[in-house]
Order: sequence, then structure tokens, then C-alpha cells
Amino acid sequence: MAETFPINIWINEERFNALKNAGLAELLKEELAGMKVLIVPCTASQRDKVLELYPMAKFDAATTKSIELLPKAVKDKIYDMVVAKKSLEVMDDFIKSV
Amino acid sequence: MEMIGHGGKPLVEQVITDKDEARKMIKDLKTMPVSRQMATEAIGIAYGFFSPIEGFMKKADVEATCKKMELADGTVWSIPIVYDISDQEIADYKIQQGDKVLLTYDGNPLAIFDIEEIYTYDKESIAQDVYGTKEDKHPGVKRTYAYKDKFLGGKITLVNEPKIREPYTSYFLTPRQHRELFGKKGWQRIVAHQTRNVPHSGHEWLMKHAYIAAHGDLPVEQQETLEGRAISGVLVNCIVGEKRTGDYIDEAIVLCQDELRKSGYFRNDIHMVTMTFWDMRYAGPREAVHHAIIRTNLGLTHHMFGRDHAGVGTYYHSYQAHHLLMSIPKEKLNITPIYVLEWAYCPHCGEVTCVGLCGHHKELQKFSGTKIRSIIMDEVKPTRLIFRPEVFDVVMECSKKYGYGSPFVTTQYLEQAKPAFSIEPL
Repeated sequence: MAETFPINIWINEERFNALKNAGLAELLKEELAGMKVLIVPCTASQRDKVLELYPMAKFDAATTKSIELLPKAVKDKIYDMVVAKKSLEVMDDFIKSV
Repeated sequence: MEMIGHGGKPLVEQVITDKDEARKMIKDLKTMPVSRQMATEAIGIAYGFFSPIEGFMKKADVEATCKKMELADGTVWSIPIVYDISDQEIADYKIQQGDKVLLTYDGNPLAIFDIEEIYTYDKESIAQDVYGTKEDKHPGVKRTYAYKDKFLGGKITLVNEPKIREPYTSYFLTPRQHRELFGKKGWQRIVAHQTRNVPHSGHEWLMKHAYIAAHGDLPVEQQETLEGRAISGVLVNCIVGEKRTGDYIDEAIVLCQDELRKSGYFRNDIHMVTMTFWDMRYAGPREAVHHAIIRTNLGLTHHMFGRDHAGVGTYYHSYQAHHLLMSIPKEKLNITPIYVLEWAYCPHCGEVTCVGLCGHHKELQKFSGTKIRSIIMDEVKPTRLIFRPEVFDVVMECSKKYGYGSPFVTTQYLEQAKPAFSIEPL
């Protein structure tokens, strides 16, 4: 299976409850002492496209291999697409929508 | 009392504090304006942060620094401190070797520059020797390639001390002032924590690890037992300088580091925060050596070095800085490095732990500064085991007060934030 590079969307209590009520809590993982996170996978080409679209974002090549520092509004949009599609496989649709 | 700095040489202090004398000294000198970048380095040189260098480097020192990681006299030195200038500026200001020039900042007198040498040096050679790469994606290399046509070398004398603005005022101490304060506190062993970050718990534990390591061989009777009787301490020395978008703003770094002490995560008498003006070069191992030199000049006895010290991207191995420091003979670096492994959160242990201690390797959740920044950007309050709530509150306050709504450097911050210091009329 090809390597994927995550976008981490950190979830506050309000969103956690919303995801739980929508039956989507299983999409969440726990990290860093109980913090809830939606881990949205990107392929290498999706990662490169996202970094090109949002130059302020950074790929943490050294530690986590994840795409970080995306603006909150961008992550909110990805979050909304995950909820609407009830799936984490949203990055192609997201990139097309930009 | 003479103070001894890096290389066993007297601490450099080239500062004229008598304003009348300063006015006399600069009378009739030709003037040349300097950028914030050059002003910062002139201030650093004059106060002795970079002892034993007394001025911007001449070619022999640059050559030795690049090729041998030494000054021309054999003192360990890792990063060139250079003054670059264009041919046009040399013509416009009629600069000649042997001139004495008044450097000005914001239109006010800053320092006298004795121009002893005008020279050229191959920038690609600096890049390869200092940074280990010629790629301009590396921020230090990019800075090197931006140097102008020539370099000026010679002694610097500060004639007008900088005025440090709030909230930094109480955090800026010269090397002499650091040493005097350590003397008053009775600190005999002091370990440096180099930082350009707001602290998460991983950083906090690195500091605690280094503190314990720095005085672990003392009898417990000599280790502090009562508030106010510490003989060893942690100095968090924040680097304040050139920023890149996405970095924490400097105000948040300094105030959040101090919050760890204010909120009791460190005792009042064993923890202190100060700052040093320095533009990070991200030179990884060579920058680690430079940090060790600066902290030697501040009077510290130990320096903590963690994973990926002063690195960027994947240019250096995680512990390459440790290996370079270990290769330097002890008598050439008068500070004891403390090498620490990273700390991570272990859900099995339910605590933050050293990766070298914990047996639950597959379960460990590593800290990443970038990941923590991402959590804060998402406006989610991290759990207290990961990020202290008092520190989070200070980050958010700084965001409003200094960061135009963001705790991270934005284009607006770069354009509008005031520099940490100003130079007033003399």
C-alpha cells in the first residue's frame, strides 16, 4: 500500500459530540493524552498539491510526516466534507473544489 | 573584575556608556545606515555575546571558520559573522579600508565601525562549509546567497545602547549582567535551554532532565532543599530575531517560557528566562556549536542539546549536533553539553516519558512542535499533560495583544510588528 501523509484536524468537545451523534466517532483517533483527531490521509501527489495551494502550510518531514499549519478555514472545509461524505477519503474532492 | 568568555579570553565589552564621550567620538565621522539584521549583530558583538570576536570578521577568520570551524587564532568558531555591502554602497558612502564609520539605525547613532578590511568571499563555499548544502531552500543558505558584493571586516564599538521595548525589557541582559545576576542568585551550575518555541510538556521535561543531569553528582546537601537556596538553575535563553511565517511570535515565546516558572512548574529560584538577539541560521550542528559559544559567554556551565538542534527540514540527522559537539576537545569549549533524548507521551504509562526509558515503544506518541502549533491553530485547547493550561492562556493573550489575532508570525506581523529594540537619539 502506498504511503500516505495525514492532515490532522483536531477536534474540540463540541465537534466530538456532533460526530458522535452522527455516528462518525469511529473516524476519530486519540492522540497526545486523549486529544481527538481526524486523520485525513493524502497521497504524495495530493500532499504536494495541498502544499502548492497553501504555501503557509508545512510538511513535517522530520517527525510526523504530516501536513501541518493549514489555515483553520481550510481544515474546517475538509472537516465539513468528511462529515458530509462520512468518509476520510475526501482529498481529491477537496482539491477539485479549491 | 575581568570576566572570561569563550576560548578562555576576556569577555568583549566595547560599549561607550558616557554619552558626552560618545558624542565626541562620533563627531565628524561619516555615517552609514544599517539594517536591523546588521544592527542586531553589531549589538551582539559589542556586548560580548560573540566573544572573543571584537568586530565583523575579516577574511582570515571567515576562511578558518568555514574550513576548520575555528577563528584564525585557533579558537573554535562555527558561523561567520559578516558585514555585507554592495559595490554601489561602497561608492555612495566613499568607504575605504582604514576608515572609521558611524553606523546608524533608524537615523540615530549606533556604533563605530573601524573598517580594517574590504574583501570578497565565495558564497557557495560558505553555504557548503557551514550548512552542508548549496540548496537555496535552506534558510541559512538563502541568507548567504543574499549577501551583497563585498564584506567589511573590523572592530565595532557601541556608542548608543539599544532601548528594549516591552514586553522584552526585563528579559534582555548583557553577558556581564547575566553573570552578575547568577552571582547574586548563588548559582554555580547553570544549564541553558536554547529555544525559539512556546514550551509544550516535551520541552518542559527536556529542561527538567537537563537540570537534574547538570547537578546530579552533587551531594544532596548541596542540592537545593529550601526555596531561595538553589545553587543550580535553568536559564531559558530565547532567541529573538528574524522570523518566518508560521513561527511563534517572539512575545509569546518569551512570556510563555516565563509562565512555566510563574505557574510553579519550576521553582522561582531555579528557573529564569532571558533573550539573545540572534537571527537563526538553522545550521543544525554548526549552529549548536555557536549556541554553546554564546551561552559560555553568558556565564553558563552546561548546555542542553536535544533532538534536531537548530535544524531545518531533513538537512541534518536527528543527533548530528551531538556528534559534532562530541568531536570538539573539552578544553576548547568551556561549557559542558548535556545530550538528551526526546520525551514523548506514553498512553500506557499515562505520562510524558523519556523515549530512552519507556518500554512501550509502539505506543509512544511523539511530540512535534509543528503538530502542537497545528492544535493551537485549530483553536483546540490541548490536554494539560501536553501543554500547560496557563501557558495556553498566555499564548492566546499574546495572540490578541501582539500578534494581530494569531500567536504565529503572519505577513501582517512581519510588516507591522515593532522590532524588539530601538535606537534613540544620542
